[in-house]
Amino acid sequence: MSNVNTVVFTIVLVLFVVVTVVGFLSARWRRPPVMAQLNEWGLAGRGFGTFITWFLLGGDLYTAYTFIAVPALVFGSGSIGFFAVSYTIMAYPIAFIFLPRLWSVCRVHDWVTPGDFIRGRYGSRGLALAMAFTGILALMPYIALQLVGIQSVLTVMGVNASSTNTYVKDLPLFIAFLVLAIFTYVSGLRAPAAIAFIKDTLIYVFVLVAVFYIPTRLGGWGHIFGATQTHFAAINPVTKAANGTFIPTTKSTGSTQFDFATLALGSAMALFVYPHIITGTLASKRRSTIKRNMSLLPMYSVLLGLIALFGYMAVADPVTAANVKKAGNTQLAVPYLFQHMFPSWFTGIAFAGIIIGALVPAAIMAIAAANLFTRNIFKEFFKPDASPALETRMSQWASLVVKFGALVFAVELPHTFSINLQLLGGVWILQIFPMLVGGLYTRWFHRWALLTGWAAGMIYGTLAAYNVKNATTSHWAASSDIVFGHSIYIGITAIIINVVIAVVLTVILKAARVPEGTDETLPHQYTADPKDAPAPVPAGVGVQLEG
Amino acid sequence: MNTPSATPNAPRDTAITQAKNPVAAHPITSAAIFVLVAASICCTLIVPIYAHITPKVGDFPFFYFYLLAYMPLVAIALWIANLLQRRLATPADSSDSDAEVAR
Repeated sequence: MSNVNTVVFTIVLVLFVVVTVVGFLSARWRRPPVMAQLNEWGLAGRGFGTFITWFLLGGDLYTAYTFIAVPALVFGSGSIGFFAVSYTIMAYPIAFIFLPRLWSVCRVHDWVTPGDFIRGRYGSRGLALAMAFTGILALMPYIALQLVGIQSVLTVMGVNASSTNTYVKDLPLFIAFLVLAIFTYVSGLRAPAAIAFIKDTLIYVFVLVAVFYIPTRLGGWGHIFGATQTHFAAINPVTKAANGTFIPTTKSTGSTQFDFATLALGSAMALFVYPHIITGTLASKRRSTIKRNMSLLPMYSVLLGLIALFGYMAVADPVTAANVKKAGNTQLAVPYLFQHMFPSWFTGIAFAGIIIGALVPAAIMAIAAANLFTRNIFKEFFKPDASPALETRMSQWASLVVKFGALVFAVELPHTFSINLQLLGGVWILQIFPMLVGGLYTRWFHRWALLTGWAAGMIYGTLAAYNVKNATTSHWAASSDIVFGHSIYIGITAIIINVVIAVVLTVILKAARVPEGTDETLPHQYTADPKDAPAPVPAGVGVQLEG
Repeated sequence: MNTPSATPNAPRDTAITQAKNPVAAHPITSAAIFVLVAASICCTLIVPIYAHITPKVGDFPFFYFYLLAYMPLVAIALWIANLLQRRLATPADSSDSDAEVAR
């Protein structure tokens, strides 16, 4: 702890304490008569309007992935990292198509999780279990990514204890995480919603200042792009290949255009299927809130585009580039850049912004995973008569367990390529796209066909991702694979396999007249827009209609 | 809430049938919505359109300028699509009709 900058440390600590206090106090925000309900703890009463939803979803969508992992990839490999910009562009039109339908049908039926919808739509507990399992699994590495983000900032701040034991070294990280776990337990979704205001304000301030200020220190954008172009064209003495690509290429060796497009498309399709994003969506009051936000949220994507450019600034700044190289960890690019470019007090604000920016989504992810566990596993298979109070308590505890599961991911998987943690989650969560988004439009697919397709996609995706290796890592090294001579995102290959199997089996199962299960939904419920929050429902609403 | 206000006791059958085929009722508006949304997706999905260094805009190579300029355009396109969709929803099938009742 010898080289800790006191100013930076104090500012980060103060802002962290403020956030913690807000996290606990938020339990009183819009306080309902009865808090012990999943609609309250897990969805904050489903009462958020356009404004709060914008902050909440913004806080939910733009995570340590945005602030650490994307610039790290840009710093390390160049233009391929900008797939994230393309992805956040595409995500909104895609969500604009299906998200309002999901909101409506879940609102009418008072469903809390995407698993509830699957269960009601297909009359299949097994399919809902598959959904819940996938959702929880996919969220683990995504939460782990938030931890890696916090860790990068703490490393550059110099607060890591000097020990070789991972658990001792990362003690500050664990403390931050424990605090997060406790206030999530107490306040539920209200906590991240309230903290999102602080987070977004900090982030907007530091990103805008950085984008205008840093280029003046580095000789302007012309110099930044010029230096970057030279850097990525240079041949790396170790790998005997270019350092990266300045513009996505079409050349067959290392063709990055196809990789770029599939990574962007896969991530965009995955984004609004992630349970934590659906949680944020279902917490909103009206259907129009969702639609309006689809055109307001791209404001954040502008921010993401600018943040990605920090990766190039780090390349163009010799001191930062040398620091990162010495540490051997590209995740440190943005923290080092800020540390070198800004006075301590501003660095403190920026670092606090990144840390809080990781805590908010981590909280929502844990809530979403906990809700899935409670509704679609615990209640479904173990305690069908669980009262709303028991459901809520179960979710609270599950949110703690999920966080510790994520810690395992954070410690065990290689951190040097953190964006891969999110891409790996994407490979898994994409496999529920056919049943979830398909189900919003048609009951044509047979439930068992969907289940088989899902299983095939999951197995293929996991094996393919496990087998990707590079010079330094033997497994889980990346999420793109070479298929028919093209580098392509594994999630896309897996979902194609998934859909083909689902289609073929549906035809066969329909011909064999295998029972299709009952559908609790009606066509007009997908466009409904009930004005008032659903009345508190007795336990077992999803169960009583089961035929 | 800018959605047109409800006729509280609209017959439920009307509400259901109208919700079913607003596309058939307004083909041009529907096509416009489709084009706006599809273009928003395709113009970033098809990478060769913009994977070029030139023409530079200021100091920004075209690729980077395109991606940054694209986002406000998507926001506007989706805003227009949203307004058009509202036009599809006729007052009788207004969003305020309580779905629980209709069920």
